Amino acid sequence: MASAASANLNAVRETMDVLLEISRLLNTGLDMESLSICVRLCEQGINPEALSAVIKELRKASESLKVQKLPQIEQYCWKEWFLL
Amino acid sequence: MATLDQKSPNVLLQSLCCRITGKSEAEVAHQFQYAVRVIGSNYAPTIERDEFLVSEKIKKELLKQRREADAALFSELHRKLQTQGVLKHRWSVLYLLLSLSEDPRKPSSRVGNYGALFAQALPRDAHSTPFYCTRPQSLALSYGERSGGLSASVGTSGISSLGVYTLNGPTPTPQSLLAGQPPQSAAGGGQPLGSRLAWALPVSSSPSSALAPTATRPPLGPPVPSARVVRPRRDGDAGGEVSEAALVRDILYVFQGIDGKFIKMSAQDNCYKIDSKVVLCKSLRDTSSRLAELGWSLDRAFGLVGQSFCASLHQELKEYYRLLSVLHSQLQVEDDQGVNVCTESSLTLRRLLVWMYDPKVRLKTLAALVDFCQGRKGGELASAVHAYGKTGDPQMRALVQHILSLVSHPILNFLYRWIYDGELEDTYHEFFVASDPNVKTDRLWHDKYSLRKSMIPSFITMDQARKVYTPTISSLITIDRVCHDRTPPGKITPASKSADTPKDAAELLSDLEGAFQEKIDAAYFDTSKYLLDVLNRNYLLLEHLQAMRRYLLLGQGDFIRHLMDLLKPELVRPATTLYQHNLTGILETAVRATNAQFDNAEILKRLDVRLLEVSPGDTGWDVFSLDYHVDGPIATVFTRECMGHYLRVFNFLWRAKRMEYTLTDIWKGQMCNAKLLKTMPELSGVLHQCHILASEMVHFIHQMQYYITFEVLECSWDELWNKVQQAQDLDHIIAAHDVFLDTIISRCLLDNNSRNLLNQLRAIFDQIIEFQNAQDSLYRSALEELTLRLQYEERKQQREEEGQWGVTAEQEAEEKRRIQEFQETIPKMRSQLRILTHCYQNIVQQFLVLLMTSSDESLRFLSFRLDFNEHYRAREPRLRASLGATRGRRLSNI
Repeated sequence: MASAASANLNAVRETMDVLLEISRLLNTGLDMESLSICVRLCEQGINPEALSAVIKELRKASESLKVQKLPQIEQYCWKEWFLL
Repeated sequence: MATLDQKSPNVLLQSLCCRITGKSEAEVAHQFQYAVRVIGSNYAPTIERDEFLVSEKIKKELLKQRREADAALFSELHRKLQTQGVLKHRWSVLYLLLSLSEDPRKPSSRVGNYGALFAQALPRDAHSTPFYCTRPQSLALSYGERSGGLSASVGTSGISSLGVYTLNGPTPTPQSLLAGQPPQSAAGGGQPLGSRLAWALPVSSSPSSALAPTATRPPLGPPVPSARVVRPRRDGDAGGEVSEAALVRDILYVFQGIDGKFIKMSAQDNCYKIDSKVVLCKSLRDTSSRLAELGWSLDRAFGLVGQSFCASLHQELKEYYRLLSVLHSQLQVEDDQGVNVCTESSLTLRRLLVWMYDPKVRLKTLAALVDFCQGRKGGELASAVHAYGKTGDPQMRALVQHILSLVSHPILNFLYRWIYDGELEDTYHEFFVASDPNVKTDRLWHDKYSLRKSMIPSFITMDQARKVYTPTISSLITIDRVCHDRTPPGKITPASKSADTPKDAAELLSDLEGAFQEKIDAAYFDTSKYLLDVLNRNYLLLEHLQAMRRYLLLGQGDFIRHLMDLLKPELVRPATTLYQHNLTGILETAVRATNAQFDNAEILKRLDVRLLEVSPGDTGWDVFSLDYHVDGPIATVFTRECMGHYLRVFNFLWRAKRMEYTLTDIWKGQMCNAKLLKTMPELSGVLHQCHILASEMVHFIHQMQYYITFEVLECSWDELWNKVQQAQDLDHIIAAHDVFLDTIISRCLLDNNSRNLLNQLRAIFDQIIEFQNAQDSLYRSALEELTLRLQYEERKQQREEEGQWGVTAEQEAEEKRRIQEFQETIPKMRSQLRILTHCYQNIVQQFLVLLMTSSDESLRFLSFRLDFNEHYRAREPRLRASLGATRGRRLSNI
């Protein structure tokens, strides 16, 4: 039982390695942890399209966070929403 | 999946947010909310769930970046991944990685590409694609995404919404669940209540709009226990257990078609259960749900016009949602300030009532419009909208005008494309010009296009529609195509380009009488003029028309006469011995010998001989016919039916002409033989009879010919020619030509009404032929006798010169006996002639009677001319009566 579990763990680790390699190839900019979270989300059936959009937006937001305060983001969001 | 622990996606998402932004959980709350929303609304992917495709895409991407080695490496890694079998959604992970990938050579642009995702949402809503029908769930989500976008923008942030949200994210949220979570109890993390609901709202509203199509009123979850419905007081005071603010909040939900906490949809009453605001809420809610339904139902098969109708409704709805979001924000501000008292600026029910009045009326109108337009499409739809625009209320009119301008935009586009380019791109059969692709080329003009009466928008008059429909370059182009002649219609310069914007359409609609009419007229004149020019110049339409008259209607006298001369020996033979090639040769000879030779070679080429079907006993005269080949664009005017008419008329005229010809022969014989036969006094009576009968016939035929030539052919021709000269489009020419043929047919007694007359006329013609035969045999025998007598005299004289007796007794006796025999045949001839005369006169008399009773005035006049000396009138009482009656009538008219 324990050996089976460890074998499984190995397989998972290997898979994650492969994925990390691919991620590196594609220059996605994800680190191991983010990648594993993403993989888990994907495994739960989340739409990858949406997820990628979220990640991009988060990156953008974090960049702007460095220079801006929160209320300004809020305003920005307002604009974005009305553009819809 | 054994070791990948099953954490909730929200927890994962949150940690992702923290990880990427590098902030603590509290700090990323806003981003997290956003993430949840995006993921929830885009739950159903728009891409193929195909791992192979994704991997191919990745490889292509790598190759594009000129990283072949990496591509190879990737395929190896991918293979390894496939063998592992740990992941269930490999394609998903790969797709994620692909979409996050960046070209290392380019400067990093991690920001951006954000709007693209959301930009999809609205167009997807506005344009109908069959896509939705197959995936109703995605419709709901995308719908909710938009409305959610508007209203959620008001809220700040709320972690607590997470529970509700993510649990139900992908599946339509059961209403009971939402209703079962009172806002107060679920409030967590110190977040304001309103924002939380603003969060939940779009998600829950989306299933309701998705369900809408199933019924006019979407079932909004199971009926809520009545105990939960708290009835607030009428006056809207913040008394009792419900505050006004809560009620206002409720109403804002109700505006969006969702049950609020206090105001609920009651299944049995079919309206919202709250007293004074019932009407307001119900109508709004009703309308919005109906519009949601419309948005769905229109999407499916309404065609372009329907789509634009739908888009305009979406626009209106968007305005409405915007208003709601503003209200929400107002509420939000109040909540933030913790204001619950009725200050100047706070939201009260009354204020809401006033503010919502206009939108209410608008939505009501829209709902009525939607109900009215259900099941219509294309021009019909535009007509329906137009009918709604006839209202006295200026606001309503403006609204409907706006919608109408959007709706009619595609129609006007069709129109311009049709007028200026001659193309009919109407896949949904919405335009009022229909084309039938199965029509063969020779019937192109007549059958290819037709007018769909039901699709003519009510703001375009029938006349305009006809003008739009008739002269089209399209027909011209197709006609050109038929004869492989590519003359580009470069002459036509559109008065204006197509209606580029709905604004143009609106302008057009506003002065339909003026500019639009002018445009259509201009296009109409240009195209029809061009079409006529082409037909006349390139296809010699008018020349062909004249040729028809000259050859098929025997207008070219010398040619016809010569042809008859040449054909006579051929045509008296039985029809079975005729050969077309011989006749064609004769025709060519006739053409060459007469003025016809100066005619256009193009026309002479088409002239041909045709032999009709031979029935036993026919002579050549019965089956011979001239023919005129028509093909290409000319056949538009000279259709097969037309040519059939022409052939019938030709046969009639040819027969009449033959009678004239025969009578001329008879007269010639009489003149030549008169002197010769003077020596035979016993014949004078018979000859006299012959002369009388012949002149009767000559008179008759002359009058007939006069009638046919001058009263029928020339008059009709003159009319036709005038009309053709003035014709503005091809249809006018075709119509004039048809009228021309019809007149000729009926005046020449060839139509069904005058079959009796025609039969009589045929009988008269037969009598003439018989008379010719009789007279021929008479002359033959008489001349034979004459030569015998002359020979006898000659012989007598010869012998006398030789000094012998002129005649012997037996010779004289034989001569006498022969003369006696001849003289005995004379009474027989006389009686034969008398019978002939009698027959002839009887038939003519019947003919005259028929003519008198005919309704056509010209025929009555003909009868008068035929019986000018009133010979028949004296014989026939019926004629007398009718003639007198006619005259009396005429006198009284004068």
